[in-house]
Amino acid sequence: MDHIGQLTPSGAPGEGPPAAPRITVREASRSFVTTGRSAVHALGPVDLSIGDDEFLCVVGPSGCGKSTLLKIIAGLLAPSAGEVAIEVSGDHRIPIAMVFQDYGIYPWKTVRANVELGLRLSGRPTADRREIVDDWLARLGLTDFADVYPGALSGGMRQRVSIARALAIDPEVLLMDEPFAALDAQLREVLQDELLAIWQARRRTVVFVTHSLEEALLLGDRVVVMSARPGRVIADIHVPFERPRSSAIRTDALFAKLRGELWTSLHSEVVAQFDAGKDRP
Amino acid sequence: MSTVLTRRPGVAELHPVRTRRRWSATKIALGISVPVLFVAVWQLSAVLEWVDPFLYPPPSRLVPGIAALWEDGRLVEATVTSVRRVILGYLLGAVTGLVVGFLMGMSRVLRAAFEPFSWAWYTVPKLALLPIFLTIFGFGDTSVVVLIAMTVYFFVWISVMSAVMAVPTGYREAALMLRANRWEMFRHVLLPAALPEIFVGLRIAAGVSVLMLVGIEFVISDQGLGYLIEQGRTLLLLEQSYVGIVLVAAIGYLFALLVKLVGRLFIRWAADDNAIIPS
Ligand SMILES: Nc1ncnc2c1ncn2[C@@H]1O[C@H](COP(=O)(O)OP(=O)(O)OP(=O)(O)O)[C@@H](O)[C@H]1O
Ligand SMILES: [Mg+2]
Repeated sequence: MDHIGQLTPSGAPGEGPPAAPRITVREASRSFVTTGRSAVHALGPVDLSIGDDEFLCVVGPSGCGKSTLLKIIAGLLAPSAGEVAIEVSGDHRIPIAMVFQDYGIYPWKTVRANVELGLRLSGRPTADRREIVDDWLARLGLTDFADVYPGALSGGMRQRVSIARALAIDPEVLLMDEPFAALDAQLREVLQDELLAIWQARRRTVVFVTHSLEEALLLGDRVVVMSARPGRVIADIHVPFERPRSSAIRTDALFAKLRGELWTSLHSEVVAQFDAGKDRP
Repeated sequence: MSTVLTRRPGVAELHPVRTRRRWSATKIALGISVPVLFVAVWQLSAVLEWVDPFLYPPPSRLVPGIAALWEDGRLVEATVTSVRRVILGYLLGAVTGLVVGFLMGMSRVLRAAFEPFSWAWYTVPKLALLPIFLTIFGFGDTSVVVLIAMTVYFFVWISVMSAVMAVPTGYREAALMLRANRWEMFRHVLLPAALPEIFVGLRIAAGVSVLMLVGIEFVISDQGLGYLIEQGRTLLLLEQSYVGIVLVAAIGYLFALLVKLVGRLFIRWAADDNAIIPS
């Protein structure tokens, strides 16, 4: 069950372009064998090197294997070929946290208990836990809902619980799978700003999957574009905006230009992925 | 021609407290009036001689029957014996069913090894095994308790195992990311996620345990309500049979209700019932 423990720290850091890479993906690919049908080649081969404290955004057409890549990095899924190496310090009980596309929070636990769970499982003392959880609940605007069950929350609030749970354990690597996809545009911007502020105050390695090019450019140091299934890296763009950033950069001329570049590389892939899904005679 | 669809507050929105209170009262009234109506029709059919009142004694004749049984202490004795048997058997079967169900729900290997064999056992009518248990444990409580336990066990085992297996991958993966071990996965994810379905199984098993009890007491005819019913039948004391049947029904109802209330105690996060259907 514990795939995470099997990810040994990388033996040879420093082969990627920036500083020592935190995550190195080498020729990783993944196929799924489903009963009755032939294998689906979902991902790769992908080569990717993610620097320490880098904020990497991944965009790509639906079904191209973004979630699959994230799950492989998370250790929830093994690659069919190739390998992924992640540097972790070794003294953190939960070095990697993940925010799931479909929440993954527990309806049978109150908001507080959900956020607290990671800390509880890593054996933090109760007083510590309380302080940390209160802090994160306040930052994500959930204080008034601490003792409510998720069933009584809106979709946006549930997703904030999920984010608070991941951030409360202060992981070395944070994986986020379309965390804002289910939110309305306004709330989405609020949470983007919030995440930006949190991350700039306390940098971590982040891999952030999104469908929104604006979101990728606003948050990321780098944006990687993936092809239609099986997803490969077809573009890798450095985002030059200064940190700390704010959502004001949306109106920058360079922002529009980069967005245009990303869209150009993505457009044909989205069409290809869509056509591949149609039933052809 | 056009129609205007208007949306306005209904009674429930205008008077929420009153509406809820009224529904609670209606619910209780409906729950009581159906059995009362049933008894009334039963009585009426005897009074109007639609049926032979000797073969089908009316409710009014059960009252002296109860009084007689009460006076010589047989009613209390039979009830106490039956309740004791059913509760012991139920607890024994439910606990083993829960343990085995969770173990098998959590382990592919155990499932592969024991599932076919267990299903084969499940389909064996437990009453057919009674003679074997009688030779092992003799006549009396032990045989009855063990047989009820076996029946309950299978119902609980199946519902627990399938409930655990149905826990969505997303919940498990979230726990894996928090590096939960097997015990923590059980405690924080599988157990609470499976509880609602488990309690459905436990309620079904509560009813089945009473059915089984009466069946066994019929066959071995030593004590208990099943014996009372059976004796009434053979001695043509039909009132006695009917009193037994009514008592068994009441016990079965109360037992299932108890399990439901215990379930509600454990399952705090879910709404009571989902009533949204087209009216
Ligand atoms: N457990 C699985 N079993 C079989 N096929 C799978 C499984 N998980 C993913 N796939 C397939 O792999 C492909 C990639 O899926 P994945 O979820 O990684 O896509 P995605 O890029 O995250 O898409 P989206 O943007 O819609 O979330 C899909 O074609 C999907 O059908
Ligand atoms: Mg996905």
